Amino acid sequence: MSQFTAVPVPKAETVQISLTAPNQVKLSGTITQKDPAQDLAGLFKALHTAAMADKLAEVRADVSGLTFVNSSAIRLFVDWATWVKNERGHRYTLRFVTSRNVTWQKTSFMALMSLAKEVLAIEHVT
Amino acid sequence: MRPGDGGILTGRTLVRVICTAGSGALEYTHAFVSAYTADHLRGAIAQRLSVGAYELLSNALNFGSISSDIVIELIESESMVGVRVSNDAIAARVSMLTEHLLKLKTNAEQTFLEELRRSVTGGIPRPMLGLARVAHEVGLALDLQVQERRISMTAQCRR
Repeated sequence: MSQFTAVPVPKAETVQISLTAPNQVKLSGTITQKDPAQDLAGLFKALHTAAMADKLAEVRADVSGLTFVNSSAIRLFVDWATWVKNERGHRYTLRFVTSRNVTWQKTSFMALMSLAKEVLAIEHVT
Repeated sequence: MRPGDGGILTGRTLVRVICTAGSGALEYTHAFVSAYTADHLRGAIAQRLSVGAYELLSNALNFGSISSDIVIELIESESMVGVRVSNDAIAARVSMLTEHLLKLKTNAEQTFLEELRRSVTGGIPRPMLGLARVAHEVGLALDLQVQERRISMTAQCRR
């Protein structure tokens, strides 16, 4: 049984989160709360742990509908990429599905690629 | 950015919001300013100013003196539009900001990357990714004005 799809999804005020496939999480809306780690750090860690347990080859994080995030939220994506990068042995590719029309996604994920390119992939949907 | 884009922005104040530190101050003020910019400015510029407004306000709330008001203004001149946040700050904060702005003016992309790296490793002073986003990600020119304890940070771009 997939541990990934069994990860409980928190209810956050401005961001909608759903697990849309055995290896895909979708986030949309905005992340403006001062400390988004309260809602999201635990989720990302749980998804990472589950992906490792499921021995997934790839995890897709669809953020194309996230129109605004603050810098604290960007740090959470950096953390997730760092966890994957620091894994020894099996590790999965973390694929961020992004939109070219959303400014923060272009620069942030390009920069993130330069920090952890061996475990990241970026896909543009629009 | 073009030469002169980082000069002092003077012009008409479109909206001015005074807020104090407290629960929801950042989220609600940002939501209001963003809605206003979205209604009154072109989409791409509104998006850029929304990031500027959030990060400048966040800085003021996180690092400014809590005993004074924080003022956020949306200002337009004939050629420029920008967001300005004013608050009280201690001298050490002003030095830190001045140094950070110098790094951003020299190489915004490199500074953004460094701050992103530092946000993983931590360290002192705390990572300042917010202003790096404003300069690199949304390409707004940053300008800091200091008058005794009162500081005003402006993020602006061409209309």
